[in-house]
Amino acid sequence: MAGGSPNELASQIYDACVKDFPTDKLFYQQDLLGLGLVPKGDVSLLLRCTQLLVDQKLFRLLQGKNDRLAWKIISREDAEKLQNLSPDESLVYNVIHSTGRSGIWVRAIGNRTNLHKSILDRCLKSLEGKNYIKSVHNVKFPSRKMYMLAGLAPSEDVTGGAWFTDGVLDGNFINTVAGYIEYTVSRKSWYEASVDAGRSAKRMKTANGVAVKQEGGTIKEFVPFPAGYQGYPTVAVITAEVNGSGITPVRLGEESITQLLEMLCYDNKLVPLNNGEYYKSVRNPEAVKMRQSRKPVGDETETVDLLVQNGMTEAPCGSCPVFKLCAPGGAVSPESCEYFDPWLEKALGF
Amino acid sequence: MTSQYAAELCTLLVDDNFGELFATIFATLIQYDRLTLPRLRAYSRLPDNQLHHGLAAMIQQHLVYHYTSYEEGLTYYEPNLQSAYSLVRSGKILELIEDRLGKYAATLMSTIMFLGHAQVSYLETLPELQPQQTVTTEEDEQLDEDHEPKPEVNGINGEGEDPLPQQPFLLHPTLKVLAAHGYIHRVREAHFQSYADNVLDCERQIKARPHVKQLKGKKLEEKVLELTAEMLRERLDGDLTRGLMFNGVPRGAKRRRGAGGTDGPNKKARVDYAVDDDEEEEEENEWSDDEMGGDTVPMDAGITVRVNYEKLDVALRNRRFLDLAEQDCSPATIEVYDNLLRRIEYQTKECRDSAEIPREGEEGEQYSAPVSLAVLAEDVDPLLDLTGSIGPMEVSQPVNKRGKRLLDDDTNGADHNESNGVSSGANRPYEVDQHLSLLAQPPLNLTSKRMVHGLISWTVEFRHLARKLRHLELERMIEARYGDVALRVVRVLHAKGKLDEKRLQEISLLPFKDLRQVLASMQSGGFVDLQEVPRDAQRQPSRTIYLWFYDPDRIRSSILEDTYKAMSRCLQRLRFERSRLKEFLEKTERSDVKGNEERYLSEAELTLLDQWRAKEALLLGEVARLDEMVAVMRDY
Repeated sequence: MAGGSPNELASQIYDACVKDFPTDKLFYQQDLLGLGLVPKGDVSLLLRCTQLLVDQKLFRLLQGKNDRLAWKIISREDAEKLQNLSPDESLVYNVIHSTGRSGIWVRAIGNRTNLHKSILDRCLKSLEGKNYIKSVHNVKFPSRKMYMLAGLAPSEDVTGGAWFTDGVLDGNFINTVAGYIEYTVSRKSWYEASVDAGRSAKRMKTANGVAVKQEGGTIKEFVPFPAGYQGYPTVAVITAEVNGSGITPVRLGEESITQLLEMLCYDNKLVPLNNGEYYKSVRNPEAVKMRQSRKPVGDETETVDLLVQNGMTEAPCGSCPVFKLCAPGGAVSPESCEYFDPWLEKALGF
Repeated sequence: MTSQYAAELCTLLVDDNFGELFATIFATLIQYDRLTLPRLRAYSRLPDNQLHHGLAAMIQQHLVYHYTSYEEGLTYYEPNLQSAYSLVRSGKILELIEDRLGKYAATLMSTIMFLGHAQVSYLETLPELQPQQTVTTEEDEQLDEDHEPKPEVNGINGEGEDPLPQQPFLLHPTLKVLAAHGYIHRVREAHFQSYADNVLDCERQIKARPHVKQLKGKKLEEKVLELTAEMLRERLDGDLTRGLMFNGVPRGAKRRRGAGGTDGPNKKARVDYAVDDDEEEEEENEWSDDEMGGDTVPMDAGITVRVNYEKLDVALRNRRFLDLAEQDCSPATIEVYDNLLRRIEYQTKECRDSAEIPREGEEGEQYSAPVSLAVLAEDVDPLLDLTGSIGPMEVSQPVNKRGKRLLDDDTNGADHNESNGVSSGANRPYEVDQHLSLLAQPPLNLTSKRMVHGLISWTVEFRHLARKLRHLELERMIEARYGDVALRVVRVLHAKGKLDEKRLQEISLLPFKDLRQVLASMQSGGFVDLQEVPRDAQRQPSRTIYLWFYDPDRIRSSILEDTYKAMSRCLQRLRFERSRLKEFLEKTERSDVKGNEERYLSEAELTLLDQWRAKEALLLGEVARLDEMVAVMRDY
């Protein structure tokens, strides 16, 4: 055993490490000595073995706590990959590997490796060609070219979260999910009371906008739940609903849904209760459905969609592009105004 | 409020309402502010006697303040923009009064408005306020008879008066009702002087007092301030409600009960005054005897009254809150809210303490007078169905695959049965409380609950709601001008403060392109603004942080100016339209044509007249709508 060459010893150490420890374990000197494979705790022999392993790309040399040396094991397949790389390439590969899921900017690789730009470019190209690394798009710095290992999925910081597709905000996707959420929440925040036809005639008059006409003469009336009602959906419930609905190709996390819910609150569609513990919708399900079905038509004349109008938005002055210049007797004046006549005609119908 | 457009608008209003002479004087005074008579004459170039007449009448209308200083003995004249502006609100006020207190009260109010201020004894002599027929006696007053249309005698206000004999007419009780509500108040001498003059006058008098003279420095200042406030309150106090309130309710306030109440506020019952009066008497019978006596005593004939615009603003503001509630509450809830607001209105004198609207974030919450639940529960119409409009606390019904709740007939039936009958007294406060809790929910927080002496009471956070109204107005404009995306961005900025583009995008979830477009167009419109924070002394654009922000205060004031301007543009356009049809309109105004249009005018002329009337109504209606915005942004 004592006569075993460092080569044999090294492979013994490697096998022991692979067998007994998880792949991402950080090995310090003690850990390796503790395996009991190195005779008499010979540190210099151990060092030679590890150096051999590092050369064979089976070990990765790292700096642990307090500047102590440490190693990590690399699987044999990966090591094979790495062994085929040129020294420059493996340098670059290691740098990219070290940044994990967040990726690294090309210029930062250059700084860390001190390689010339043309060499670096060549290395990156060959690595990309071998499908070891991939270029990723970072939302925070859209102009920077970033790389990460091919097998990794970019982190949320890089992609910007679930709402980005290839670094661009996916408007359609957001709108679809938002619409779905609004409807879902809305269904749970109003109590549906069906009123029979006899009562309904009277109801229609008084329930201003609350009663909604349904086919077959029955009226569905939505009444609010009392204050302190606990049945409003929570973020967890909404997330489960969205993921269960099959409208998203990926599974959305609660943070993403919270982000969207907040947006809906700013849109005046939902209302957070109890500091965002529950969400309640502003409109009842029928109204939500009506609005959503109207949206794609893009009917310009339909002004019901807006918040209730006020004096300024109705008056021609409210939307007049030269309102600031308008003065009696001026070039733009109330007498010569060209907006008033069409406005009067439209309002009065003559 | 002395801005260019406010001044322009007020002059136009004065011109429209009182004619050219008033307008000339008013415009001169606005241009030069405080003037003595000789100077005023010089600037206005009016003949002496016209000027005298004009000024006297304008003082009567409260359009001009006057002040005679002690030292010089000169009298200064100053325009009163506030009361000039109030002219535009008169229609709204009359509508409110008619709605609440009946037609006769509205007629009386419009008379007082028309006169500026009036002595009670003078009102007694006015023909249009006299009852025209004496048909029935008080004891056997018949409702059906009162509902019959009466022949219009006076033209202006025919059907308004319902005869009640042996009264010092209907006038005195109605005046009392108006006074009790605080809609009219007594005119004091100090009302003829501007606020600043009053303050200076008080200060001077106080400083002359021997015990104040002894004080020095800061103490003196404090004392003077304190005493001035007290003196001012005393001088300007025209409150007539004292002695006319019973249990916190003004005499003659109509309690909605019976059939009228269930209709809900959307369809406000237009009850004839006689009906009101009937109800009033019924209530009086409930009151104790000595209070009974109060009503038969006429108003003191020597009192001079005028319209109390501050109080009416409170009433109009409450109406706005009701409208706000109406957007997503059931009629029953609104009914309850109406009752609460009514109760609070009786105890609120003005919309806010400070003269100016405080800056955003610097205004403290100001709760209204609390109203106890028990009182409220009694106020609410006992026939009002309170249970049907709120869902159950727990939903036990299963949700089927499509997500639709299966409706269980039994539970519903039971629900309705209970709600149809008048619920028991013990349950009633609880139900009212439920409705009020519903109103207290975000986002509007229309009410808030408080415990006063261990009793559940409800209040309204007026400052918070007034702010909400303001924001809503601004948001409406933003949505109309820049679309719903802009609205989202503005709401984010408002909630989070100053943000850079990246954070803004993350929160609003908008693509950069859209976001930038919308921000740029809003910036040019003055709705959002950009702050530059350089990271080093060089202030290079690349090393600078750009923060977007939204300042509602600044926007409010600029929109307010725009609103004034838009109002005056509408009025100017109306004038222009009138001048286009001048000859035709003069024909219709001819004394022989007026009232007999069908006889004298041709078919084409009649349609033209109709069109003109519609046009005029539209433009004036628009001015009234704009006034609603001014009210929100300046008065509430």
